[in-house]
Amino acid sequence: MAESRRTFLKQSAASVAVVSLPGCAPMSAESPDALLPATLRAVGETMLPEELGADGRERAVAAFELWSEGLEPVAEMAHPYLVPETVYTGPDPRPGWAAQLRGLDIESRKRFGASFGEIGVPERRSVLEPHVRRAGPDLGRPGNAAHVALALAAHFFASPIATDICYGRAIAKQQCRGLAAAGDEPAPLPGVAS
Amino acid sequence: MSQVIESDVCIIGGGISAAMVAERLAETTEASITVVEAGGRTASLEERTATRARMLAYGENPYPNDHIPGQTGTGEMYQSMVLGGAAMHWGGAVPRYSPEDFRVRSLYGVGYDWPISFDDLEPFYQEAEERMGVAGEQGPPEYDPRSQPYPMPPLPLSWNLLRMREWTDAAGIPFWTQPWARNTEPWQGRNVCQRCDTCAVCPTGAKYTPDFAFDRLLAAGRIRLNERTLIRSLGLESGSDRIASATGFHQDAPDEPVQFRARTFVLAAGHAWSSHLLLMSANSRFPNGLANRTDNVGRYMTGHWFASGFIELPMRLYPGIFPNNSLLSHRFASPGPLDRYLRHDIRLWESTVGREARLAADDGRVLWGDEVMADWRARTRSTATARIRSYYDVIPTPESRLTLHSGMRNSHGDPMPRIDYAAGQATLDLEPHTHETLLGRFDELARAAGGRMMSTRASRLFEHPGGGCRMGDDPATSVVDARGRAHDHENLFVVGAPTIVSSGCANGTLTFCALSLMAAEEIARG
Ligand SMILES: Cc1cc2nc3c(=O)[nH]c(=O)nc-3n(C[C@H](O)[C@H](O)[C@H](O)COP(=O)(O)OP(=O)(O)OC[C@H]3O[C@@H](n4cnc5c(N)ncnc54)[C@H](O)[C@@H]3O)c2cc1C
Repeated sequence: MAESRRTFLKQSAASVAVVSLPGCAPMSAESPDALLPATLRAVGETMLPEELGADGRERAVAAFELWSEGLEPVAEMAHPYLVPETVYTGPDPRPGWAAQLRGLDIESRKRFGASFGEIGVPERRSVLEPHVRRAGPDLGRPGNAAHVALALAAHFFASPIATDICYGRAIAKQQCRGLAAAGDEPAPLPGVAS
Repeated sequence: MSQVIESDVCIIGGGISAAMVAERLAETTEASITVVEAGGRTASLEERTATRARMLAYGENPYPNDHIPGQTGTGEMYQSMVLGGAAMHWGGAVPRYSPEDFRVRSLYGVGYDWPISFDDLEPFYQEAEERMGVAGEQGPPEYDPRSQPYPMPPLPLSWNLLRMREWTDAAGIPFWTQPWARNTEPWQGRNVCQRCDTCAVCPTGAKYTPDFAFDRLLAAGRIRLNERTLIRSLGLESGSDRIASATGFHQDAPDEPVQFRARTFVLAAGHAWSSHLLLMSANSRFPNGLANRTDNVGRYMTGHWFASGFIELPMRLYPGIFPNNSLLSHRFASPGPLDRYLRHDIRLWESTVGREARLAADDGRVLWGDEVMADWRARTRSTATARIRSYYDVIPTPESRLTLHSGMRNSHGDPMPRIDYAAGQATLDLEPHTHETLLGRFDELARAAGGRMMSTRASRLFEHPGGGCRMGDDPATSVVDARGRAHDHENLFVVGAPTIVSSGCANGTLTFCALSLMAAEEIARG
């Protein structure tokens, strides 16, 4: 990986991780609803692009953890246009996601004699594949994901950074950028295919 | 009565129409003005950065407490009951109606003419644009008539929209930049747009929301604002048809009525609640509701329908540069002579539809990590998606109606609004022709770029709704006159959305504001 690209990934992933979301209260590691960090990272290695590098993937997983800590169950959603009823987000997905991470370890031990983090990527994929298949191709909102692996993938691929990496351009969606450069083609990201 | 509040003018409702009336009256008269808003305040400008972050992260409502539990009806209605009304959430797209909108019966033999012309309303369009601060590009004058320039230069076209405009130019259809109530220059102490992509909640204050106007008027001591106060009924002066009072309660003291007395009452409660309040105010002299001698209150509820689609374009675009700007054409809103009636706008946006990351390939194979990225790149390298949508006008009918809901009551036991929207027979008869023509036009545009339609959709949601207190010269078929004065009550004005005769084929709020300002001019005459 070119140095400039490494720098970009590092900086951009870091900027995701440090975004402070109002209302976030960290969950204690002992809580039964806490997402097992090692298993979650192994899921990250399986679902997220290798081209992010270990640092980039670590930052994407950390950003997901921070995001999930700030998630408020059954929150009032932005009103759909001209619908007079209040619409709410779903119940808390985190206990289910935490159980799924524990389940991945149990299944890996049963099938491969080692925890999910200890088995190889092809074996991990065989464990995750039924869940991915069941969900269908579209990622949707991370909070609605039926499986923690899908939530993690949805969170990363919807991020401004993922879009920039895909296009190889500094689009910086959802960031307040001023009007001046709106008409310009977004600048190429050094070292990223565009 | 626990509390009586007196003023010269009492404005019921605290949305954008109310803001226009309050501002104009405050500037052009010495009148004491009371504004009564059922809801309270939601996120201040300072809080919008934080609520925006949570909206982006979790899809949460960026305007907490912007509605009143149990105070809602059925049919197309906004949920917002808050200072600023629905225009806290709005996108701020502010096209004018076309001159033809006001004369469809005379020109095309369908629907109804308005009692005013485009030219009558034009100065008030300009005034509304200046009050909110509109940035716009002058389109071809025959399709975008105006007597003065837009207050501000247009929002810049993004790289994506510039490419799309090359395409539409080649297709021979004139497109120009959508006008927006968003600043491209500092305006009335508010910032310039920073292209944050979240116009539903603007963290910089560049988008106009009515709370800015109310705060300015409050700071200048020009209005008295009674928030969280729901008016339940209007009462008459004894022995006269003049309105004497509006009675309601503060949300914190539901058992202690508050009465507002004024020389003039302005009903600015939006398309649903204005008719609702008149119907709720029935008395022995007006057993069917105030302003309703001729049974027109709640009728001719209207809005526009749309057809839309996604076009695959053989070009590389970068979704996310400026998704909240768009291209607009009113070419077909002023179509000239027609065999069969159809008038519509066209709007184009960049889109991510079909260009998002996905976890399975077309053949169903699961994609992992780098494969997801590779598949995503392959679908975005040389193809892109444009969203296209056309509003077309729906011919209003008296059967399209707001009534009091027999089975839905608020915590006070008051029946809530029930809106049964309907389209006039002419619209239904024309619908196959309308869809065929619109989808044909979309397809032609797509092919002009060497692209293809990916999908299409037809919607019967009544967008930018209005009606229920329509204006007209004849009291037998209308509720208010051309300046919003109720035919039945000389000191009652209804303003904005409820008074429209038809909803044209353009977003309606600028027209609601212009109508409100026109009414305010009349109110100021005393
Ligand atoms: C997500 C979204 C996007 C939109 N985007 C656009 C756009 O881009 N362009 C466009 O033209 N339009 C848009 N609109 C529509 C636009 O917001 C509305 O047309 C406009 O705000 C209506 O203003 P109003 O003053 O008529 O009514 P409202 O905004 O409904 O205001 C009426 C106020 O009266 C109060 N009220 C009602 N009854 C009573 C009572 N009995 N006592 C006291 N107070 C009462 C209500 O609480 C409310 O605050 C959008 C709307 C939404 C929700």
